[in-house]
Amino acid sequence: MLKEVSTHVIQHLLAQNAWSAPLLQPFAGQAVQLNFVLFKTALVILENGSLAIAGETATADTTITIPPSLLLRLMAKDEAARLQIKVDGDTHLATAMAKVLSHVRWDYEDDLSRLVGDVPANKIGEFARQTAGSAKDTVTNLADMLSEYWQEEKPMLAKKRHVEQFNAEVDTLRADVERLEKRLNKLAKNP
Amino acid sequence: MTTEHDTHFGFKTVAESEKAKKVAEVFHSVADKYDLMNDVMSAGLHRGWKRFAVNISGVSRGDRVLDIAGGSGDLSKLFAQKVGAEGQVILTDINASMLGVGRDRMLDAGLNVPALQCDAEKLPFPDNYFDCVIVAFGLRNMTHKDRALAEMQRVLKVGGRLLVLEFSKVWQPLSKAYDVYSFKLLPLMGKLLAKDAESYQYLAESIRMHPDQETLKQMMADAGLSKVDYYNLAAGVVALHKGYKT
Repeated sequence: MLKEVSTHVIQHLLAQNAWSAPLLQPFAGQAVQLNFVLFKTALVILENGSLAIAGETATADTTITIPPSLLLRLMAKDEAARLQIKVDGDTHLATAMAKVLSHVRWDYEDDLSRLVGDVPANKIGEFARQTAGSAKDTVTNLADMLSEYWQEEKPMLAKKRHVEQFNAEVDTLRADVERLEKRLNKLAKNP
Repeated sequence: MTTEHDTHFGFKTVAESEKAKKVAEVFHSVADKYDLMNDVMSAGLHRGWKRFAVNISGVSRGDRVLDIAGGSGDLSKLFAQKVGAEGQVILTDINASMLGVGRDRMLDAGLNVPALQCDAEKLPFPDNYFDCVIVAFGLRNMTHKDRALAEMQRVLKVGGRLLVLEFSKVWQPLSKAYDVYSFKLLPLMGKLLAKDAESYQYLAESIRMHPDQETLKQMMADAGLSKVDYYNLAAGVVALHKGYKT
C-alpha cells in the first residue's frame, strides 16, 4: 500500500514539474538507491520520464548517500555541502536525479484549486506565502539578535575577523616553529 | 501428478486439451457478475492494483498497448486515457463472454478500443509491435504459460515492457487466514452473489497452483525478458511483475 501511495504522490509531483521528464527519460529502466538521513528507498525511472518506487528485487544502478552531518548544511543551501554527497555508480544518472529532486516543487495552489476553486486557492496560497515569509523573517531576526548578543554582550561565539586573525597567527606560529626546528637540526649537525 | 500432456485445473489434473475448455466454462459462467465479484472479493482493491500497474507501465501518449485477457476492460480503459487519440490500445481475451462485456463497456465509454478474441499462446500480431503488453489476472488460466510469455515477448518492441498482474504467494504469517478466506468465504460469496460456488472454488485453487513471485520472475527471464522486477501488493496476495525486451 505504501509503495502504491508513494508512487502516486511522486508521479503527481513530477507531472506538475514537466521539465523533469526529458532529464530522466534517457535513464529509463534504471534504479537509484537513495540513502537519506531518515529513510532509505530505491526509485526507478519510467519510460515516460516519471519515477516510481522500485520493486522488491531491483538492483540500483547508482547510489546517493547523504550523511546526517550534511543535512543542515544542505538545508541552509551550502554549495560546498553538495560536493560532499556520496555517489556510487553512474554519476550522470545521479546528477540528473539530484537535479530533479532538489528542484521539484509542489504546486499546492493547483491542487487546492481543484477542491475550492481558483480564486480561494490563490488567496490561501498568498496568505500561506506571506505567513511563511513573516515566519522566515522572524527566525532570521531572532538568529541575528542571538548571535550579536553572544558575540558582543556575553561572548560565546567568535566573530569572523577574530577567527581569521587566530588562523593567521596559527599559520605564523607553525612557520616559526618549522624555522626553529630547521635551525636546531642545523646546530645539532654542526656544533 | 501431471504427465507431459496433463496440466492443472485448480487442484485437479486434466488433459492439456481440456483446460482451455474448462476455463472457458468458468468465465462464461462468471462474466456477468465478474466485476461485482472482484469488488466484493478484494474489497475494491483490484481497482487500485490495476491503477498501480498503469502507473508503473511508463506508458505515455502515442504508445501502443496490448491488454491480454483483458476481460471486462478495466485496464484498457485506463490505458486508453494514457495513450490518447494518437496511441492505440487493443483489448483481447480468449473468452467471448468476457470480451463482450469489455467491448460493450469501451463503446459505452466512447473509447475507440478494438476488442479481439484470441489465444495468448498464438497472438495474431507482428513481431516488435507494442510498447507495452499487460496481462492482469489471466496468466494463471493459460495452459502453457511459457509459450504465452514467449508470445508476449515476441510482440513487444525492443525497450517495450511486459507487465503481469496476478495473484501470488501471500506473506507467510497471513497464509492461514488467507486459506480460510479463499476456501471457505470465497466459494460462499460466489454462491450468494453469482450463484456459482464451483467457479469461485476454481479461482481459489488456481491461485494456489500459480507460480510464486520468484518462479514467475524466472519464467519471464526464460521467455527473454530482462531486468525483471516485481512488487508485492497487499502483502503478496497479488504481485505485479515488470520485465523489458532488450
